Amino acid sequence: MDLARQAQDGDESAFAEIVRRYSPRVFSVASRFFRQRTLVEEAAQEVFLKAFTQLGSFEGRGSLEGWLTRIATNTCLNMVRGAKRRPEFTVSDLTEDEQGWLEQQSAGDGGKPASVEKSLVATDLADRLLSVLSPEDQQALLMIDGEQASVKEVAEATGWSESKVKVRAFRARKKVREAMEKLLSYERKAHH
Amino acid sequence: MKEKHITEILDKAPIAMLSESELNEIRAHTLECMSCRDAFEAARLSAVIIKSRVEATIEPSPFFQTRVMAALREQQAVESVPAMLRLWRSAKVLVSTMAVTTAALAVFSFIQPAQTTPVAETASAFSEYSVIMDRDVDEQMSYEQVLSTIYEDEDETR
Repeated sequence: MDLARQAQDGDESAFAEIVRRYSPRVFSVASRFFRQRTLVEEAAQEVFLKAFTQLGSFEGRGSLEGWLTRIATNTCLNMVRGAKRRPEFTVSDLTEDEQGWLEQQSAGDGGKPASVEKSLVATDLADRLLSVLSPEDQQALLMIDGEQASVKEVAEATGWSESKVKVRAFRARKKVREAMEKLLSYERKAHH
Repeated sequence: MKEKHITEILDKAPIAMLSESELNEIRAHTLECMSCRDAFEAARLSAVIIKSRVEATIEPSPFFQTRVMAALREQQAVESVPAMLRLWRSAKVLVSTMAVTTAALAVFSFIQPAQTTPVAETASAFSEYSVIMDRDVDEQMSYEQVLSTIYEDEDETR
């Protein structure tokens, strides 16, 4: 709160300290939305510029990190909504690497530590599967299932009601599971 | 058991958050139900890839703080300039072009017609004086023309 108050009073070094201290958190939020470093940095910069102009509205009831997380989530959601959506994912779009990853996981090798390459394949596959969801549903799923955030935490970060968060997460989980089922059945058919 | 499929349990919470009794129910059901076994396998793999997606976090570069502070100063500098000046800066090329065009049109409209044209010359030949006194313009001969006419007449008489 002290840092926020100093920054509100026009202390530039206090704001610089806020940027230094909370940029990992803001980058973590932006990374949920974007994979390219340039886009993540652009979003994070936008978040801090907005935060600076809105510092007067921060009353110190919640944490500064929570307040910044909310600005980051909403800023990134707006950026994603404004961007052109990728064409919907179809099972025949799978690359050889992705097929190999699925085979390996289905064979029960998922417990082995993943190499960097395999993690990248899994991340690509995740992006493809998540493209079936709206940006809002993606966030609910990534935060709850990926980051183990509680429904309440997601509600605070997004400004949605808790029931809305639950509905979004349920719907997203179902859609992704069904998309994955289609992939697996396509895989099985391809091998028989 | 077979009548009650387990997909709702799979969708209501992340697999990692399911209770032991729910997991037991899933295991028992998937022994008999092929479609729910596929659904469980899909849910498990989805959880794996979502986890790997979240782990792919980009860290801030060491220059990020400097970049933000520079952007902030730039923003403050822009905001400190009066609105009219900002408008002028953004539109000065257009405004200048329009001003030059207007000036050029003014020159062509008012200055050019003041120069004498053949039509104007003809019009000036019929001066107010000649019209009022009913004098033919052609009669207004110069001194040389008068002399040459006289000499021509004399030559003819000879």
